[in-house]
Amino acid sequence: MVDPSIREPPRVLVPVQVLEGQTLPETLVDFLAPAEVVVLGYHVLPEQTPTEQASLQFEERAKAAVDDIAHAFHEAGRDVETRVAFTHDRDQTVERVAADVDATAILLPNPVGDVERLLVAVRGAIDTDRLADLVATLVGEGTQRVTAWGVAPGGSGFDATAAVERVVEKLRDRGLAAGRITAETAESARPVADIVDRTDEFDVVVMGESEGTLWSVLFGDETDRVAEGAVAPVLVVRRSPDFEAEADPESESTSG
Amino acid sequence: MGTEHGGTNVNRRGEAPQTVVGPDATADETSVTEEGTELERTIGLTGGLAIGVGTMIGAGIFVFPGLAAGRAGPAAAGSFAIGAVVALLVALPASELATAMPKSGGGYYYISRALGALPGAVVGISIWLGLVFATAFYLVGFGNYAAAVLAESGVPVGGSVVVPLALLFGVLLTGLNLFGTENAAKLQNYVVGLLLAILVVFLGYGGLDAIGVLGTSSTPERFMPFGPLPMFTTAALVFTSYLGFAQVATVAGDIKRPGRNLPLAMIGSVLAVGTLYVATIFVATSAFGSAALSGFGETAIVEVARAFGGRVGAVAILLAGLLATISSANASILSTSRAVFAVSKDALLPKTASRMNLKYGTPHVALTMAGGPTLVLVALGEVEVLAEVASFLHLVMYGLICVALLAMRRDEPEWYDPDFRVPLYPLVAIPGALASFGLIAFMQPLSQVVGVAIMLATAGWYKYYASDVSLKGVL
Repeated sequence: MVDPSIREPPRVLVPVQVLEGQTLPETLVDFLAPAEVVVLGYHVLPEQTPTEQASLQFEERAKAAVDDIAHAFHEAGRDVETRVAFTHDRDQTVERVAADVDATAILLPNPVGDVERLLVAVRGAIDTDRLADLVATLVGEGTQRVTAWGVAPGGSGFDATAAVERVVEKLRDRGLAAGRITAETAESARPVADIVDRTDEFDVVVMGESEGTLWSVLFGDETDRVAEGAVAPVLVVRRSPDFEAEADPESESTSG
Repeated sequence: MGTEHGGTNVNRRGEAPQTVVGPDATADETSVTEEGTELERTIGLTGGLAIGVGTMIGAGIFVFPGLAAGRAGPAAAGSFAIGAVVALLVALPASELATAMPKSGGGYYYISRALGALPGAVVGISIWLGLVFATAFYLVGFGNYAAAVLAESGVPVGGSVVVPLALLFGVLLTGLNLFGTENAAKLQNYVVGLLLAILVVFLGYGGLDAIGVLGTSSTPERFMPFGPLPMFTTAALVFTSYLGFAQVATVAGDIKRPGRNLPLAMIGSVLAVGTLYVATIFVATSAFGSAALSGFGETAIVEVARAFGGRVGAVAILLAGLLATISSANASILSTSRAVFAVSKDALLPKTASRMNLKYGTPHVALTMAGGPTLVLVALGEVEVLAEVASFLHLVMYGLICVALLAMRRDEPEWYDPDFRVPLYPLVAIPGALASFGLIAFMQPLSQVVGVAIMLATAGWYKYYASDVSLKGVL
């Protein structure tokens, strides 16, 4: 790639539990504004409540809350797409909308102040191109520092050092100054817990989506567990549909 | 009042029917409201089957085997098979209508859209009452089984605990639905799963025993000791044990891939329950012979289980009875709440009835309108007559569903585009309607009188409260 530009403009899906009074911190709005943003206001109902019934009574309130968030993005210079959904299953709805809008990443919101430090946690196969597009777009014009941290259990067959190197290289390809990027690796038996522990050093965490392992079915999705434990918002990078085809040989051997 | 509201399509309080989801806005994963809000469909085929099977299963196994065998001999199995065929004659038209209009409300919705607001109001409001009666009946059944379990396990209790236990459990179920976050519907899946597991073990063992693999082979009895006629009249008696498959359609708005899953869930649950019923009769009559079975009366199945497995067998089948009544009561409470929502959305009842509270996210008014009267009826007793009235009201709805299909197919409005079409529909819908209305003739006169009175009262309510509301063809 000769031109150090963005391969595909990243699109971030921002799910917000609007009727629970959840909002987005202004600093996070400013941080996300360089990317295309889709705001999904959703409300989870118990299964005994028909979604039609909820929409009849609360649709306007939900729309108003989503419009408020859209207005905040408008103030920050970004016009966003909005969606409103009533559901019995949060994950099903978020996944469906993410696929529908072909989102690059999904935001799992947490409180945050000014965004100065990003943690890119690499713990397995990750769509490095999308990741780099996203991070470079969000911090390209700014002063934020990015730490790429490869963390994996020893002997897992996943070459964390090589993976982090690829991330750094792609970020520099997209015009991010080398001085703003730090590369680190660590061996960890409990990557998720260690990522959570480090989140207080950072303002936003970026990580790849989990693979559907038995572990994640039993104990919850890794990214959800990070978001629950973390003190920072988490951006989960989704694999693009053609990711497997153009994956590097090394990452292919780990994702198999 | 005619001059006040003439042709305005509003009820006495000035409320008009509300459309949530337009006719073309239904997809496999979502419905989309007129405002563009997406309503996620989250109940899969398993959930749909759990509602259908969970509502129906019970009476055919835990009430009727003794009574039916006494009347028809081993041919009682044929009676249950006939019942399943009649249920299918209604389930097929209901499936077609449900895939054409996959909205909450079920039978009420199709009837009001195909035949108009008056039949709609009569069915919608009387099915609310019918479901309340049925729930009360299931709760008393639960009390009976709970008392029997206590007695079987050596706790000396008399019949006096039946009503308190039924009330306690009614309060518990209503509370779970009012305040439960997501567990009330999941509970249904677990209860039905456990119940099916117990029944399959019981019927499997009993079936092997009956054909002589285990123990001694039983003497075959003549299949129709009283001739073929009692097989048909007994079918009318036991049809009650198939009421409930249309409840699947009350959650149609929340079912994933409705074009595929609604017909599969409705027809599949009738077939599953019918198979279990026929197998139960086969096992029970093989174990004891129909005369002895008849002598046991309503607890016949417990004696059959005791013959196979001693006290353990008896307690297991009593537990299955408990689970069956819990699942039927819970499914009925949920259906009642949805039935109330459907008629209230259409302005046939005050809009207040469809209010929900944000804190728990549950329709508290409708659930209270389901649980409250149920508890009163349980406390007052007399639920057996009311159970037959509930069957009466269900059968009226089933008959009208078949009529609604005929009306829809004759007119075929532009929006009418069901994913599932009943093959040779007049040969299904006409016998379906005749069978449903015909079964009413076999009921006790008291039930018929009460049923007709309720229908007249609901018609009167419509004339008084919502005579200017029109729903025919309005999606």
